Amino acid sequence: MRRLLYLLREAVANVLTNRTTTVVAVATTAFTFACVGVFLLLYVNLRSMASSLEQDIQVMVYLQDDLTEQTRSEIELQLKADRAVGSLTFVSKERALADFQSQFPAESHLLQGLGQNPLPASFVVTLAVESRSSDAMRRWANRAQSIPGVAQVQYNQEWVEALAGIVRYIEVAAIIVGIILSAASVTIIANTIRLALYSRREEIEILGLIGASTTFIRVPYLLEGAALGFLGSALSLVILKAGFELFRHEIRSASRFLGVDALLTFFPFQMCVALVCVGLFLGCAGSFLSLLRFGEGRA
Amino acid sequence: MIQLFHVSKYYDRRLALSDVTLEIEKGEFVLLMGPSGAGKSTLLKLLIGAERPEEGQILVQGRSLAKLRSSEIPLLRRKIGVVLQDFRLLPKKTVFDNVSLPLLVQGASTVEIRRKVTDALRSVGLDHKKDLFPPGLSTGEQQRICIARAIVNGPIMLLADEPTGNLDPELTSEIIELFKSINARGTTIIVATHDPNVLAQVNRRVITLDQGKVVSQEQVSS
Repeated sequence: MRRLLYLLREAVANVLTNRTTTVVAVATTAFTFACVGVFLLLYVNLRSMASSLEQDIQVMVYLQDDLTEQTRSEIELQLKADRAVGSLTFVSKERALADFQSQFPAESHLLQGLGQNPLPASFVVTLAVESRSSDAMRRWANRAQSIPGVAQVQYNQEWVEALAGIVRYIEVAAIIVGIILSAASVTIIANTIRLALYSRREEIEILGLIGASTTFIRVPYLLEGAALGFLGSALSLVILKAGFELFRHEIRSASRFLGVDALLTFFPFQMCVALVCVGLFLGCAGSFLSLLRFGEGRA
Repeated sequence: MIQLFHVSKYYDRRLALSDVTLEIEKGEFVLLMGPSGAGKSTLLKLLIGAERPEEGQILVQGRSLAKLRSSEIPLLRRKIGVVLQDFRLLPKKTVFDNVSLPLLVQGASTVEIRRKVTDALRSVGLDHKKDLFPPGLSTGEQQRICIARAIVNGPIMLLADEPTGNLDPELTSEIIELFKSINARGTTIIVATHDPNVLAQVNRRVITLDQGKVVSQEQVSS
């Protein structure tokens, strides 16, 4: 117990002895983690938006004009039998015209000059959850297009695919930036610990002389590194949360982004805990590297 | 208890010890004499496993130091008390905390630590200064604290490297008397020194080293 208290006290003493270095290390680590966090936050939000868009996206299956009622029923049956189809609604030519006129009353005169109703009948299809990825949607659209009597299949393919592409790029960028900045954090913490080791090298030598084991000598420095990583990552979450709330407030104030703020989400609690744990681990790794280089305990 | 067989040690091809063979019995008080660079400190470093010889073999209590794994060196050092010329006390820790360190690293209980530290401080006559910090003590007191730290866990031997190097003749006598009383309790003592004041006060075995070689071993009477 006394030994444990000693190790904890030493770790705290290390932090307090090198106060300025500690503050600089925590701040630098926090901003480094925050940079990674921005990418992660962007990734998390874009991914959530992408999946929300995928859920909202409906596929329009336009029918040829000269179809008999029986053919239309057959197409409907065929679509309903498809596992990828979650639900579908038939929109007749008349209903399509009425919808157009109610949605775009100013442009309704454009259709009057044509004499007959130019809008096709269609099925509005909502795909099953497992078929809402951009790839699955494209495959299904190609399949539906080949059904006899179907004139055209349309969905917001460009949007979905562009968003999926962006999410993929952000994912790769987050991984690359994450690796680079994590290495930077490890280096920063390693240097801080190295300074602590040099400032206390005499004590380390004495501990070695009186028979302290390598573990006994290392633990306070590992704890210090873990504390730096923990504080740095926790502070980065505070910075990110503050930045996130500020951004959301700005978005809310700008009326043209009405409703977008509701789509924005911060990291879930579990992810916050995971990020702090990663910080803690990187801190330990930094300490460990310094201890290896310092080669203590061999006085 | 300590046996050295044809031990040689080099530092960057410079010979520090050459073909040293000697034996030290349990409970002996041995002086290692010789000028600076004679190899006295090197010999002590070899005995605590801080250095390894290039040639020869060292046995401590019948165990070859060459066969010790790195993880076993701390265990060896827990049996050996070390006193250095520059004391090596931790200035930001109290006298009590400094002396308790060897017990702490061994995982001794709080009660045991309190009892043994008080005993060790009493034996060097400084139990009333346990709450002070080393910079507030005189040189002689700091050396006595260093000795208390070296004996607190009841080592089988005590190695002292120029323990009186920073002390005046009066304090030197005090420290030597302290070593004698520790030796009287059965602890083997090896003191490396080139201080003639120490030699004058110790009528024990004297091993003289010069340029890394043992040039004489004799029993001296003061």
